[in-house]
Amino acid sequence: MTAPAWLEVLNETLDACRTHGRADLAERLRRRRDAPAGQTRLGVLGFPKQGKGYLLNAVLNAPVCAVGDAATPAVPTEIGYAEEPAATLVGLARERIPVAVERLTGELGARPAGTLHRVEVGVPRELLSAGLILVDTPAIGDPRSPRTAAALDILDDADAVILVSDATAPLSAAELALVRHVRTWCPNVVVALTKIDASPGWRAVAERNRAALAEAGIQASVLPVSAVVRQAAAKASDPELNARSGFPELLSWIAEQAARPVEQSRALLAAVGVRAAATELVESLRDRAEAAGQDAGLGQAALLHRAQRRADDLRRQNTRWQNLLSDEIGDLLADAEYDLRERTRKIVHHIDRTFDEADPAKVWDEFAPWLDSTLAEAVETNYSWLADRAEWIAQAVATSFGAQYDRALPDLRLVGSGIEELADVAQPRIERFKVGQQMFTGLRGSYGGVLMFGLVTSLAGLPLINPVSLGAGAAFAAKTIKDEGGMRLQRRQAVAKQAAQRHVDDVFLRFSKDCRDAIRLVQRRLRDHFTELAEEIADELTHERETIIAGSAERERRTVHIRREIDRLAGLHQRAGELGTIAGRTRRELPA
Amino acid sequence: MTDDVRDLLLDAGAIYRDSPRASVVIRECLDRLDGPLRVAFAGAPGSGKSTLAAAVGERPTRALRDLDFLDDPAPGVPADATVRLVRHLEPDELAAARPPGGSAFARQSAVNAVLVLARADEIGAGRIDALLTAKQLARRAWREDPLCTGFQGVIAVAGQLAYGARSLREDEFDLLAAFAAVPRAELERYVLSVDSFTDPAFPGPIPVETRRSLVVRFGLFGVRLALTLIRTGCDDRVKLSAELVKRSGLGELRDTLSGCFVARAEALKARTAVLSLETVLAAEPRPHTDRLAARVERFAAAAHDFRELRLIADIRGGRTALSGDPAEEAVRLLGADGTSPADRLGLEPDADPDEIYDAGLDALRRWRHEAERPDRPLAERTAAHVVVRSTEGLLSLFA
Repeated sequence: MTAPAWLEVLNETLDACRTHGRADLAERLRRRRDAPAGQTRLGVLGFPKQGKGYLLNAVLNAPVCAVGDAATPAVPTEIGYAEEPAATLVGLARERIPVAVERLTGELGARPAGTLHRVEVGVPRELLSAGLILVDTPAIGDPRSPRTAAALDILDDADAVILVSDATAPLSAAELALVRHVRTWCPNVVVALTKIDASPGWRAVAERNRAALAEAGIQASVLPVSAVVRQAAAKASDPELNARSGFPELLSWIAEQAARPVEQSRALLAAVGVRAAATELVESLRDRAEAAGQDAGLGQAALLHRAQRRADDLRRQNTRWQNLLSDEIGDLLADAEYDLRERTRKIVHHIDRTFDEADPAKVWDEFAPWLDSTLAEAVETNYSWLADRAEWIAQAVATSFGAQYDRALPDLRLVGSGIEELADVAQPRIERFKVGQQMFTGLRGSYGGVLMFGLVTSLAGLPLINPVSLGAGAAFAAKTIKDEGGMRLQRRQAVAKQAAQRHVDDVFLRFSKDCRDAIRLVQRRLRDHFTELAEEIADELTHERETIIAGSAERERRTVHIRREIDRLAGLHQRAGELGTIAGRTRRELPA
Repeated sequence: MTDDVRDLLLDAGAIYRDSPRASVVIRECLDRLDGPLRVAFAGAPGSGKSTLAAAVGERPTRALRDLDFLDDPAPGVPADATVRLVRHLEPDELAAARPPGGSAFARQSAVNAVLVLARADEIGAGRIDALLTAKQLARRAWREDPLCTGFQGVIAVAGQLAYGARSLREDEFDLLAAFAAVPRAELERYVLSVDSFTDPAFPGPIPVETRRSLVVRFGLFGVRLALTLIRTGCDDRVKLSAELVKRSGLGELRDTLSGCFVARAEALKARTAVLSLETVLAAEPRPHTDRLAARVERFAAAAHDFRELRLIADIRGGRTALSGDPAEEAVRLLGADGTSPADRLGLEPDADPDEIYDAGLDALRRWRHEAERPDRPLAERTAAHVVVRSTEGLLSLFA
């Protein structure tokens, strides 16, 4: 046997529901599909105090349902055929607990709320023998209450529904909404207008209800009934009174539901279910597509714009910090060199002044350590000042990055000034004026004096060597020795100055080179550090933009997908409509 | 109490002299203090407000003569007390009928509403004991349903029947008597439903239209009840009318209105005025209004009537541990049967003042004892304290 056409459409819709996260709709369709054959389930729905219980009791001519102010079960009661009256409580885990019919109310009251799934009651009634099952439901009320949910739950597998509303008032807005909802899921609906025995104006109410239903486009007839009259008729076995109760019409409608050919009825129900599910699913998909579209519209552009702006900012920032760094380093180079030169020049001055007066031969031993320590201090000071400046430059560049700078500054510690390796000033060759040399010099000077004055005095007849010439020789000797001593001192001073100055120059040369190197190192380190940071930020931005663009593509893809799904569901809806038409009815088209 | 409120309003009027809106509100409050108590009938459409308002308000009893009945007033119109109608005692309807909250004082003094299960004749598929069932339902709801705690009473009333009975005409009585004369077995099928009652096959010469007007006026249940009552002895119009009124629950409603509202008219009117004043103070704060607000608060704290009314409702609604004779005495002392000293003490109105004073002292002693028994729960002692305060109040009149 081939599967009927409706099964295919239903399965496809069911899959679609499941795919799009509407497990509730899928479950409804599944229950519709797997409904046991050979049963006609007739649900009785209504708001509280409308006379559902009286109506059912009157249909069955037996006190099956609780009426009046007696507590009604919070779960549906299924009334089916049984040889002997019987009642079964069905728990949440589908466990079946048989109870005596007369103890049913007590048993229900004794059980805590939410532990039962449904109640099954069997009564020996001809009406039910062909597989008709009447389902009494808890009153519809607060839409969030479990009672309401349990009542509406029967729509999933009901073949037909009787909606109960009393004749004391026309259908309320809530009741009309309920009929519309019922009609969406179940094609066979009738509105039973109860309590017509007590309402003088029931005919007007019935007319208003019919008009309201017609206006809302709901195909459902209104059947006025009176349970009181039906009861009296049953008691008196009065067929004429029974006819007045309105129940014969209701019973024939019920029989019509039960007598419908099984396949045709199932096809129709499946078609209606598919249409309802497809409509609801399309609605939720459309909502989703709309939400996604809105997201994409506004958010997308704004995000991209922001990313673009940030990239521009970054580019400007890069130029800024690079310029800043190179300017600062250039300044630092010049300043550092000048500083060092200035300090050494002062030392040189000092050296000059010292050796203008002092005799290196006497002071050198004192002078050399002083020079070493002064030089070391100058170099050290220069170096530490340099380190401070390097730190400051790093800060300045970091500040130019603003809030994006979120890490520690690079390690700018310099590799020591190398002052320890500074060579001590070398002692120059200092000639002292020794005693022998003095004697020789004295002799050489005295020679001239002796000769000069000897010759002069020889004219006076004195011998060449006489006291005068000897005296003059001594005086000349002393003068020569003195002159010679002065010259030697000057020479020594010059040598010492030269040696000290050369040493200072060496130190300057060496350390200005070191300084330069250190500054270059700082520059390189800072450049590497900040370049890396800038690259990271740029990468981040690129990634962000890619994500945004990819996201919009994804969203686009999803929207297209949803649209395609909507089209597919519309197709299913259409096919279900055709099937429904084949099954004997015409459906309204799904609004575009 | 009224004088306190009048002073408050006059002072407020002085402060708000420059605000036209506030001045209008305050002047209205002052006018209303001297006017009648305004009782509103409120409820969902179709609950029978107008019918019940007419049943109570047209030709009112002496106790209710000074009331001003408002049929479904607009939201802006303040009423001193409310009769709230519901068709069924279903949770949804009850939740919608709950009195609104408001300020601390409004909630603390919310003793101005009764709940009416209108159209009580529709209960139980219109069987002949429908009204009895409805009364029991109302009683049970008041005692057990937490949604009914805010009301001074829950009363089942068949409004249509009550209205019909109050205005029962001689010709209507004659008609009903004529129907009642028909053998019951023969008539039974014709009083089964409205259709059968207006069936042309109805025995007797009464035209269909007359029968229809009768059923429209009294309801099918009312017609059946009237027939039964005539058969069992209500053989003239006055008797039938009285019996129908009694059974319709209108009497109980009137008693509640006079006990809870009329006897406390001053307090309820003062309450309305104070609530309006609170709104003005909240809407337009001024430099000196905090002092006024403090006085309002003091007034709210001192107003003993509201505490009495609440406690009466709690005792009658079975929400206290009191029962039996002590409960009876407590509600009497609290002023449920009238607020004069003699009424409170259950004595004749013309009793000797010395006798009244002695009875008062005796009651005071007993209730002080109750209020200070350490073996009683706090709620019970607090309730006894309220009774003590009421008794002291009545004794102070003799000082």
